[in-house]
Amino acid sequence: MADFQIEDLRVSVEGREILKGISLGIDKGEVHAVMGPNGSGKSTLSHTLMGHPNYKVLGGRVLFKDRNLLEMPTEQRARLGVFLALQYPVVVPGITMSNFLRTALNAKRGYDGKDKSKAIAPKEFRALLKSEMGVLHMDDSFLSRYVNEGFSGGEKKRAEILQMAVLKPEIAILDETDSGLDIDSIKFVSEGVNRMRGPELGILLITHYTRILEFVRPDFVHVLVDGQFVLSGGPEVAAALEKTGYAEWVKEPQAAAQEA
Amino acid sequence: MGFTRDAVERLSALRDEPAWLKSRRLESFGVYERTPMPDTRRDADWRQVDLKGLDLESFEPFQQPDGAAPAPSIPESLGVLAQRGTGAATAASSAAELERRGVVFCPLWEAAVRHPELVERYLFSALRPDRDKFSALHSAFFSGGTFLYVPDGVSLERPLVGQFWSAGTGGSTLPHTLIVAGKGSRFEYLDEFLDDGAAVSYVALHRWGEQAWQFAGQRVRLNRDAQFQGVNVGLGGRFARLRMEALLEGEGSSARLRGLFFGTGRQSFDFRTLQDHLAPHTTSDLLYKGALRDLARSVYVGVVRVEKNARGTSANQANRNLLLSEKARAASEPILEIENNDILRCSHGATVGPVDPEHLFYLTSRGIPEPVAERMLVQGFLSEVLDQIPVAYARQVVEEELARRIG
Repeated sequence: MADFQIEDLRVSVEGREILKGISLGIDKGEVHAVMGPNGSGKSTLSHTLMGHPNYKVLGGRVLFKDRNLLEMPTEQRARLGVFLALQYPVVVPGITMSNFLRTALNAKRGYDGKDKSKAIAPKEFRALLKSEMGVLHMDDSFLSRYVNEGFSGGEKKRAEILQMAVLKPEIAILDETDSGLDIDSIKFVSEGVNRMRGPELGILLITHYTRILEFVRPDFVHVLVDGQFVLSGGPEVAAALEKTGYAEWVKEPQAAAQEA
Repeated sequence: MGFTRDAVERLSALRDEPAWLKSRRLESFGVYERTPMPDTRRDADWRQVDLKGLDLESFEPFQQPDGAAPAPSIPESLGVLAQRGTGAATAASSAAELERRGVVFCPLWEAAVRHPELVERYLFSALRPDRDKFSALHSAFFSGGTFLYVPDGVSLERPLVGQFWSAGTGGSTLPHTLIVAGKGSRFEYLDEFLDDGAAVSYVALHRWGEQAWQFAGQRVRLNRDAQFQGVNVGLGGRFARLRMEALLEGEGSSARLRGLFFGTGRQSFDFRTLQDHLAPHTTSDLLYKGALRDLARSVYVGVVRVEKNARGTSANQANRNLLLSEKARAASEPILEIENNDILRCSHGATVGPVDPEHLFYLTSRGIPEPVAERMLVQGFLSEVLDQIPVAYARQVVEEELARRIG
């Protein structure tokens, strides 16, 4: 049994079955890439693992630290050590990045507004942010801005990685973190991710393109088509996909359903 | 009990008012007697308003000064206080400073005696007594209230403040604030209601107790290049109706109107706003935001009017309502009346709904507990207006009250 074990996961969205029995084991220290064309169920997988209310679990289990993640509310999954970097980070007006990050970090530290000793000290918090933001090439002005408001595509993705760096998850799901980014942003984001790689972190990297895999080298690659894994293997799978695309499994990728 | 002609005479005699004021009161009382209660079914201006349970006969027509203050006086460093309840309250040092600069800031009854040339000319020139029964009642029985005159070119650093409260159940409080701003003057004014070419910033803080009925009207007339910034904060009352009207009469004038409200229990708010563009190149920008919990409800009806010669108008109107319980209700009705098509910009929007589930998911996905996430989102939603309250003292009071209500 792997540290993070997905077993026969079946999920529907608005009454339509999208994931049709997914199994995948991730050990800490590993990077698993899940690749697939539009509509294959990539976002459904990432959102279901985090407990988004629009996704209905039809069957299966996700075991992490002897718990079934699927029975827990989103906030508890996060505090248990699971992190999702969203493909489309949400703009939240009225809440500053700094407030957002501090509240999230304090929640992870078990601070509930009462025992001040559990809250992070302002000085320590500032030092933590300064070093992480340096790696991601983000300046201080980010902290006083509202969450993702007015951020460019690249800034939003970097802000996601910053949150990951601050919260230090054990399992990180990166949902198309590379999509819509220029090459510089992909490099900054990859640097941020690579810095966190190590024996304490397992990564599920979901992507449409092979480009980010040049910077964040995966240990395993799984190809998701129509809600099922059609091929799993090592980095060589990505290299093959680079040449052939998804044509082997999808006849007309242009006509594929919208990303679910 | 009740509002009678005899009561008007007694009220007027109490302050030994000049004859012109007494006769205006009696004239308004005549209008009050002749005018029926608003027809909440047929009269568009009163649609959706629930007046059941309001018995005008049950109120004391006016209060004897002074009753204990329900809130501490504000520190002199934060603002200059004109009036507390129905008494004068300007500290001697501030009074001397204001007088030196030609500013008149005193209870309205006092101004009526000492500065009839200003008061007689402007009193009820903007808010007409014959508009409806409540306006007539107000004109006949207003007591307390503040008069502020700032001469041409005078800028005041500290905000000016009036504080009013009711003597408790059964009382009526009808304060009238009259502000005359000279050309090129600049100042901030705060009206706080408690219970338990000029650049003018005006903040009204409505914090009545939960049994109170409020019918408030504000009307601002803007001359050439005048700028007005007005914020209304609704936190109290069983029923609170507020009419805010900005008349952009002078070319280049602009009004920035903000509203913030938070209803709990069975509170009901009723906002009616008017952005009336009467001259070319005028600008108005309105944003009313509120949150409702429990069984609270709100009605917002906002009119943007662009008159024939108001070319180059820029008008924006938005009303956003956050419903925090399944039984809270908000209705929003934007109305555009445009008679000049040569406008720069005219936009309006209204939203009614719960906390955005995508926002909630995002915050909880970072480990933030759902109740904390909801509180942050409500605070964030309201902060857009809260941060724009120009008087620091008022901002602080509202912030504390909101924190208490958000929980």
